[in-house]
Amino acid sequence: MSLVDSAREATLEDVALWDIGKRFGFYGSIAAMVTISMFPVFWILLSSLKPPSELFVFPQEFLPYVITIQDGQLTVVQQFPLTLENYRAALQERPVGQYLINSAIVASGTAIIDVVLGSMAGYALSRLRFPYKLHVLLLILFAALLPFISRLIPLYKLAIDLQGTVFGPFFGLNQYLGLILPYAAFQMPFAVWIFQAYFNELPDSLEEAGLMDGLSRVGVLFRIILPVSMPAMATTAIIVFIYAWNEFLFALTFMTQDSKRTITVGIALFGGQFNSPWGIITAAVFMSLVPLMVFMLVFQKKIVEGMTAGVGKA
Amino acid sequence: MVDSTTGKQDITRIGEEGLRGRLERYRELRITEEELAVVLLMPVLAFLLAVSFYPIVDTIWASLHTGYVVQLPTQTTEFVGIENYRALFTDGSFWNALGVSLFYTFVSVPVELVFGLGLALLLRADFKWKYFAQAAILFPWALPTVINAKIWAWLLNPDYGVISDILVRVGILSQPYPFLSSPDVALYSMTAITIWKTTSFMALILLAGLSSIPDHLYESARMDGASRWRRFRDITLPLLKPTILVALIFRTLPAFQAFGLPYGLTGGGPGEATTTLVLYTQQAAYNNPGPTNGGFALGSAAATVITMIALVIALIYVATLYEPEVR
Repeated sequence: MSLVDSAREATLEDVALWDIGKRFGFYGSIAAMVTISMFPVFWILLSSLKPPSELFVFPQEFLPYVITIQDGQLTVVQQFPLTLENYRAALQERPVGQYLINSAIVASGTAIIDVVLGSMAGYALSRLRFPYKLHVLLLILFAALLPFISRLIPLYKLAIDLQGTVFGPFFGLNQYLGLILPYAAFQMPFAVWIFQAYFNELPDSLEEAGLMDGLSRVGVLFRIILPVSMPAMATTAIIVFIYAWNEFLFALTFMTQDSKRTITVGIALFGGQFNSPWGIITAAVFMSLVPLMVFMLVFQKKIVEGMTAGVGKA
Repeated sequence: MVDSTTGKQDITRIGEEGLRGRLERYRELRITEEELAVVLLMPVLAFLLAVSFYPIVDTIWASLHTGYVVQLPTQTTEFVGIENYRALFTDGSFWNALGVSLFYTFVSVPVELVFGLGLALLLRADFKWKYFAQAAILFPWALPTVINAKIWAWLLNPDYGVISDILVRVGILSQPYPFLSSPDVALYSMTAITIWKTTSFMALILLAGLSSIPDHLYESARMDGASRWRRFRDITLPLLKPTILVALIFRTLPAFQAFGLPYGLTGGGPGEATTTLVLYTQQAAYNNPGPTNGGFALGSAAATVITMIALVIALIYVATLYEPEVR
């Protein structure tokens, strides 16, 4: 065997090895990232299913069942019993169900307002000609830079002042709208941005064709633009819903009655600092995450689209 | 007014139509482009004016007056000039909170950017189960901050925390470690938690930027014999700059306004070791009511300072990273 040949063989082998190594490294990295990302959720689920006697021990049990080989036989050994007691307690002894309903109402209301108003403004900013267009867009986007805490105290004072007046039911403490309206305003720049980016991508001929067919501008809006803007509406609604579901600062300040609290506030105010009922807390936490996990699995494409709208294009 | 064959309005003649013609036109839903724009934009602008811009102005106004007491909503407040700011700037807790927020923000964001870039390069490839892997990796971003705080408060529990458990099992620790109750370590723990939560968000933004870089640039660079590192440095980084700007603004401003994480994780403790600026402001406003220099007066002054810092941060980013498009 000549020197050249053996060198070539070695290289080929190296390449194959290198390939396997690369694949292994790649999938290994992905698996590591998935584990790091999801382990806390797995741990919350496991903790919520543990009886109290298993919760407050060190070291902790990681698996409820372990498969062992004893005398050549596979046996499943139970390490601790799984229980739904924490979920029962969270829903029956604590108003976790009510918290979840409150969050769903507030988040849906916010999403509806942002989709309706955001699509209107986004359409105008993208497809109509009028003076000071760029200034208006920049003004709306500027609102996104303003810190939430600087909007909290005046709105809180306003809610207190309106309590007991005819405006009380619309904007006051312990009113759903008292959260929906601020949330909708906070996410409005985002909604407008999504819609104007989406409308920018549509062909110019869309309106022209409608006007040619004798539709009015309002007719074009409802008959042509509304149906084609459904994808942007879904994207906006999902991201705004997640934001409103997650918000804490305003929810903590505006909802002072336990029956009106959202899930984030309800969980944050569970128990004291030292004797926290971790079994019930982990059960409530896991329930609060279920809608978010479903969203992430079903609407991942929309979520990614929304988060990255306009990135790399501007 | 309306061209009967095309249905298009003749915009140039609006000035001449008079009130009656205009009403006639509206009744038939025939409106001009500009009028439609006004109708569509008004609700949003009015809404933002009432719920975003007015409160900012009111906060600045309140920061120059004596406090507002919730029990006496009709009281008048007195102008005190910069008195509230004097009280704020002589409060050691304010400076501590500012330091905590600056550390938390300017450590977590650059680390997230570097990790996020690595993760984005990893996720650029197509592979089996990518949809599920990406859903899992992205999930921490969707967690509510305060619930994330509770999750980690349990995982890092000083007595029963699973992180201590794992570190004991692999032999790094010999007993549970007080990650959150040790004054020297609590802020590092909190910063690490936020890096864990938002790295994937950073990755996704950067991934969108990466996918907009045309492939032929890499191909021609490879033909010229440019190394992997040179291709990254000379093609990827410069073309990714606008995306990095967006990602930095998206992350820095929320990080600077961290509230739910310290509230749920440590309550700002031990002592004030993890009290961020917004937590300090919220506590000043709501736990310390009083007509002069307390409650909403001090809170408003602190909130105004936060607004100023947020705007300065945004301005610096835009000024240093923004390059006018050459097309």
